[in-house]
Amino acid sequence: MDRNQIAKWLKEPGKMGQKYSLWATYFCTGCGIIEVPPVITARWDAERFGVIPVSSPRQANLFMITGFVTLKTLKAIIRTYELMPEPKYTVGFGSCPINGGMYWDSYNTIKHLDKYIPIDGWIAGCMPRPEAIFIAVTHLWTLIDKGMADGYIRYRENYRYYRRNQEMVLGKLEWPPLYPVD
Amino acid sequence: MWVKAVEIIVSPILAFVIGLFFMGLARKITARIHWRYGPPITQPLIDVIKLFTQRSVSHGLLFDMGVILSLAGSIALVLFIPFGGICPLESSGGLLVILYLMLLIPLGLALSGGEGANPNISIGISRKLMLSLGYEVPFLLAVLAIMTHYHTISAVDVVRAQEGFRWALFSWPLVLPGLAYLMILPAMLGLRPFEVVQAPQEIASGPMVEYGGKYLALVQIEHALAVFVTIALFVDLFLGGASNPFFFFLKMCVIFLLGMFVNAVFPRFRIEQAVRFLWRWPTALAFVGLVFTLLAR
Amino acid sequence: MSPEILLSVAFVGAALTYILGRISSSLRDVFSVLLSVALVAMVALMYGMSGEEEFYMGFLGLPLVLRYGTLQWLFAIAVSSICALSTVFSLSYMRGKERLNFFYFSMFLVEAGMLGVVLSGDLVSFYIFWEVMSWSAFLLISYNRGPALAAGMKYIVMSVVGSVAMLVGILSLYATYGTLGIPEVASHMASASSGYILFTLIIFGIGFGIKSAIVPLHTWLPDAHSEAPSPFSAVLSGVLIKMGTYGFLLIMYVMVGIKAFLELGSGLYSFHYILCWLGAITAVIPTFIALLQNDAKRLLAWHSIGQIGYIILGIALGTSLGIAGGVFHILNHATFKALLFLTVGAVEYRTGGVRDLNSLGGLIKRMPLTFVGALVGALGIIGVPLTNGFVSKWLIYKTLILNRHPFLTFAAFIGTWGTLLSFYKFLHNIFLGQLPERYKDLEKAPFSMQLPIAILSLAVVFFGILPGIPLKVINKIGVSLGFEPLKVSIWGLASETGALNTLNIFTAVLVAGVIVWLIFRAGMKPVPVPQDNNYAAGSYIPRDRYIYTAEFYSPLFRMIRPYLRDVVDEFYMALSKGVRRTSDKLRRIYVGDVGYYVIYIILFLALLIALKIWLKLW
Repeated sequence: MDRNQIAKWLKEPGKMGQKYSLWATYFCTGCGIIEVPPVITARWDAERFGVIPVSSPRQANLFMITGFVTLKTLKAIIRTYELMPEPKYTVGFGSCPINGGMYWDSYNTIKHLDKYIPIDGWIAGCMPRPEAIFIAVTHLWTLIDKGMADGYIRYRENYRYYRRNQEMVLGKLEWPPLYPVD
Repeated sequence: MWVKAVEIIVSPILAFVIGLFFMGLARKITARIHWRYGPPITQPLIDVIKLFTQRSVSHGLLFDMGVILSLAGSIALVLFIPFGGICPLESSGGLLVILYLMLLIPLGLALSGGEGANPNISIGISRKLMLSLGYEVPFLLAVLAIMTHYHTISAVDVVRAQEGFRWALFSWPLVLPGLAYLMILPAMLGLRPFEVVQAPQEIASGPMVEYGGKYLALVQIEHALAVFVTIALFVDLFLGGASNPFFFFLKMCVIFLLGMFVNAVFPRFRIEQAVRFLWRWPTALAFVGLVFTLLAR
Repeated sequence: MSPEILLSVAFVGAALTYILGRISSSLRDVFSVLLSVALVAMVALMYGMSGEEEFYMGFLGLPLVLRYGTLQWLFAIAVSSICALSTVFSLSYMRGKERLNFFYFSMFLVEAGMLGVVLSGDLVSFYIFWEVMSWSAFLLISYNRGPALAAGMKYIVMSVVGSVAMLVGILSLYATYGTLGIPEVASHMASASSGYILFTLIIFGIGFGIKSAIVPLHTWLPDAHSEAPSPFSAVLSGVLIKMGTYGFLLIMYVMVGIKAFLELGSGLYSFHYILCWLGAITAVIPTFIALLQNDAKRLLAWHSIGQIGYIILGIALGTSLGIAGGVFHILNHATFKALLFLTVGAVEYRTGGVRDLNSLGGLIKRMPLTFVGALVGALGIIGVPLTNGFVSKWLIYKTLILNRHPFLTFAAFIGTWGTLLSFYKFLHNIFLGQLPERYKDLEKAPFSMQLPIAILSLAVVFFGILPGIPLKVINKIGVSLGFEPLKVSIWGLASETGALNTLNIFTAVLVAGVIVWLIFRAGMKPVPVPQDNNYAAGSYIPRDRYIYTAEFYSPLFRMIRPYLRDVVDEFYMALSKGVRRTSDKLRRIYVGDVGYYVIYIILFLALLIALKIWLKLW
């Protein structure tokens, strides 16, 4: 951790701030959420990395999609993602968001979450252990340092693609588009 | 004249630094009581820096102005409280002005939250105002006991009258109001067991549910200043202030640690349980203390 | 400029308004605005003059005396300005209603009556103008038919009881001293026995207490003020109930005198201390009853009762700071209460008569200037620093603390917190929160409503930042009533035991605000979003389904509702029901059959003869 290198803080305080204060939306998607309470409580303390859970997506900048995604959950995930302020980072947790995982031939789950929401990184496993979450957080720091964690920029620039995918699987969406779609 | 100007500029910055230090210390101590490591003490500063780089949403003009009004009220309030020998604006109305400027802080947040049209905000604000009514009853009785005992409305005079270890907390008419004030200190700071206003698990952090980015940063700064103001007021009125800022800071640390130990282990009251508690034991103690103060004359 | 010209212009103008209204309505509108502004100008010209005028009336050989001094000038300027602003407001509020000539005629009659009460120098003319004012107020309270008739009936019964009490006092003074001019009575009462002074104070106190609505004489006020048309509610709450406090000032300090007043009774049982406690109870309990109300005008009406408690606290204490605080609060309460009633009137006008707090919401986006007016009025009545309410409350608190009355101060403070809670509910349920679908296209208030709201808001803030301007006038009043003068500067007070300097507070908050605004601008520019783009736990909820305004403080209500029944009102209603039942039983002796009446006559004659024979009564 380069949290105590004052020179780096003075050069780019914004990036260092985003790295060492990742506030996670406490959104309990699927089976992966069972791994999150041990991470944020006393046994594997996530607060020493600066990661705390917050209750409102408006206050958060990290979104972990923990487990399988059904159609109903996809609506809530899209709505929560659009409520978050920029810059925001998403992490896919478990193998279900990557390629469908255990539910690869189900009629009700989403197999490739990347088509509907931009994902910055994946954590493989059918539920990953808490140590894997910490490795993911430190890897996310490296990505933020190099400027490669740009999911939100991709969402803004390719919004027509994402919105069309969302409408194809969910039908007509009730909320207006986040960015202007002509 | 120049000393006064330097005092006016330095006071809010010092209050902000101390408040932020206390917030970091709070998280560290809570973590250690929970047998984990906890974030570094500078974590609230990192949070504020991160929040300023986020682009949040706004619900209207009053949404912005309310937060600005609340923070302006707390910065102006800091200038009126004697801080170990530094008191920039002493002769402008004393304790009454302090008590009334403390009204601006929840009012600004309430007005701003009202414009963010979210029911969680409305529930949070109504809980905040009800809790304020709850703790104001014993708080006013305790402050009135002080004002009656020293027969003045100026905070600087109260500090001066307690010089030389004649602290108000150790004089027999005022020990009961002092204990009542200690009991309501977690309610005024928004710590558990009175954390019902923010209640992240119940109402999605209440009034702060629609704040992101710079609004949340300003609210964090305002919370730091509010912690400073509340504890400084207690140290001034009941522990005799101090002759220089360093001893004042030590006294504030002791009081803050007491509140933090309570916060780390308690769950949360419901709002009517909280108000009922505040109107029962602290009010009784402060009332009896006020009667003693009247009889002592 | 002399008071008889003022009063004759007022009365003749009232009659002329009615006559002009018969000819053409726009002529009447223009004339009423000109008349009210002319009255304000005439009162303003009388500043600084003092004296007496006598007219021979031929009634019991008593003259009609008109006195004018600084105290009378302060009340007269408050009366005329609030009435002028209400007249401008009612130009658009009352458009299209019926019997408008009658409305304007009664408004001017009320104003003329109040000016007469304030300017009268002997008790007969005081009584005559008092009755004119009360009766014309009754005409206006029952203006909208329906529930307003019952409210008006309650008001006039209680007002007549008060006036009769006052008449008993006046007659006893005439019987004892043979004269009714106020200075002559004052010089006679300097040598009266304390029992007679107590009797006079109590009997006049009942009359003035009913008009100014102190607990336990307050029960007419909530109904009357909420059912009257809104511009007249502003006049009622703003200045009519202050006539009661003017009466208190007259009887306590002009006629009885400070020394005799403060020495009445002994220790804890002195008259002024009991009156202070009545004021403290009036400041606390009606404020918390106002929390429970669901009708916007009823909430404001209960708060009027509460603020009168503050005024009585200040006046009855008998110190120079107290008088300054009490009289200044009279002026301040007139401004912000009229402002609040006018904003409720504007909302009522646009939404078609809706005053229910549980069905409005979010109107800040459609009526922004009305919201600013309501906000300034709410800040004034709470007493936030930089508004005029703060200065008058500061004076009252300071004098209570320095004279060692901590429990009275505590009652006053709790009144302020109750005011904060109920005015946040008022603002939130009308202007903040979610905008319902049916009010999506509401228009702003018309200009003739926005003008009085803007003027009153500016007055609230102006007197808050520069309180020295009215405080100089009030200092003169205090000296004329016999108190020691205060050292007043334009920014507040300068005295030894803690000063008030509003310039420091204003500069501190302003500079802090500017710095915070600059920090705010330095952050990233936020994205403006509409109301339905809100956190709703992952759903998208349309506009009308996500409303929270009803039952705003429900946990607190459940705790304090059992303690806040209006027992006085229930007592009076039970009393009136008992009287009605007894009279109903009594009327059954009128059977309608002449035979029964003959028997009654014979029986009564037999009774008289028996009494004469056995008891030799005459």
